[in-house]
Amino acid sequence: MKLGIQLALAAVGLAALATLPLWASPVIIQFGTSALILAVLAQGWNIIGGYTGYSSFGNSVFYGLGGYGVAIGMVQFQWPFAAGLALGIALALAFALLIGLPVLRLRGHYFAIATLGLAVVMTAIVSNIEIAGRNIGLIMPLVRGDTWFYEGSLALLAATTLTIAWISRSRFGFGLIAIRENEGAASVMGINTTLYKVLAFALASVFTAIAGGIHAYWITFLDPESAFDIGLNVKMIIMAVFGGPGTVFGPILGAFVLSAISEILASKLTSLASIFFGIVIVVAVVFMPRGFADLVRRFRQTRWRYFQENIRAHSV
Amino acid sequence: MAAILEARNVTKRYHGLVAINDVSFALERGEILGLIGPNGAGKTTLINLISGTQPPTVGSIVFEGAPIDGVPAYRRSRLGIGRTFQIMRPFPGLTVLDNVAVGALFGSAGGAGKLSEAQEQARRWLAFVGLEKRVDQRADALGGPDRKRLELAKALAQRPKLLLLDEVMAGLNHVEIEEVIEVIKKVRAEGISILVIEHVMKAIQSLSDRLIVIHHGEKLAEGKPGEVLTDTRVVEAYLGRRRV
Repeated sequence: MKLGIQLALAAVGLAALATLPLWASPVIIQFGTSALILAVLAQGWNIIGGYTGYSSFGNSVFYGLGGYGVAIGMVQFQWPFAAGLALGIALALAFALLIGLPVLRLRGHYFAIATLGLAVVMTAIVSNIEIAGRNIGLIMPLVRGDTWFYEGSLALLAATTLTIAWISRSRFGFGLIAIRENEGAASVMGINTTLYKVLAFALASVFTAIAGGIHAYWITFLDPESAFDIGLNVKMIIMAVFGGPGTVFGPILGAFVLSAISEILASKLTSLASIFFGIVIVVAVVFMPRGFADLVRRFRQTRWRYFQENIRAHSV
Repeated sequence: MAAILEARNVTKRYHGLVAINDVSFALERGEILGLIGPNGAGKTTLINLISGTQPPTVGSIVFEGAPIDGVPAYRRSRLGIGRTFQIMRPFPGLTVLDNVAVGALFGSAGGAGKLSEAQEQARRWLAFVGLEKRVDQRADALGGPDRKRLELAKALAQRPKLLLLDEVMAGLNHVEIEEVIEVIKKVRAEGISILVIEHVMKAIQSLSDRLIVIHHGEKLAEGKPGEVLTDTRVVEAYLGRRRV
């Protein structure tokens, strides 16, 4: 399918989703909000992990910094939400540049390992900062209804996805993809790989921080443990990879489908839910390792052979 | 004729091992210069030093009259130095067309501004190397000979002034070698200077204006193909000393 048609379909989907608060129950709206925020996180990870090929475990730090920007701005300085969000974005951007410049020189798994510790480090640091409420956390004023957060998250997801659609067709995006496919060849073909990787990391940090800011304001409470949660980072990766990393819409699909599955499992099975969720992930990785988007693209040609081929590819 | 590329007393050491030892040469504009030598002689190392993927330990690389030491690989490519890899490095997940489009987007003089423009240029380069029928295939679906052509098209799409070819004929059969030779001659006709590493002696003999022989990292001989290949030192390097 051409990108234009996909975007047109997405616009219809967006309009339909925007009407949700008019007819759905509060529970559905709340579920929708958290699914939308997870979709933004999966898309943010998609920029650095999916398109550039650098599996980042540092995205949850961007999320936490976005949240702390909002919390510190609103609680300590009595700023409006937007000003706090700007502070959060600035913090996340500064972190992306500061950490990205040295760490993005590491290739492949070493980058993933180097970013793995960042969330833990940030938890320890923020727990000792007075203005961030130390390890007790900060409580924000509750002023907005659920609809505001839902529509805000939807708008953010639309903006993130448009940016990724642009990336997928732009010179910048081709540079990122070339880095993912073969970094050595990319550099002798005239791509400033260090600059491109840092820009991708920074772009991911902006969207992830905004999502963190919206989420913190929605929950009205933020502490270091929940802000810098490595589990959330794992979730972003699973959703992006499940849906299809390096595609424009795959990670959204992954976030929606997995959010729904985990919600249903949690309400039906409670304590066993995470086991079944794990089984879903394993089955998905075995049968469609290139994600849902690849399945949708190729299933019409290959039919059920698609799964056979993937299983055979594992055994080689 | 002014030299487009000069190597001045270039040495590359890896800890104790001397891979390139005090090599100097010049490549004239519009020339095809052949670089030959036994396995492990340091040919690919020399190409790495010129394209900037490795820095020389001592010495200087001069491109179009200006030293380019300290200029990173990506900017050398924009200055007009294109290369292929002996161990081919396509972007496996991209189509053949998009592989070449990357070259067009980021080539010398800023490259193509828009993707559609870059893909248009890529189509022309793929036709140039004879790969026009494979544009929509994924690069990792290509066989050996076609991968060589793709390597060449990617490098050409950058519109280089100097092209470094690292064994583009290795593993090809006679017919394919003839085809690649024709392509390289066409490239030269476009005004591109070429440094070519090759093991296929017949090919490099008919292709090169001049030859340089490298052995154990040192320049052994330099001159017209006919003279160089009958030089006793060169024959010894390849075949060993004759024992009577």
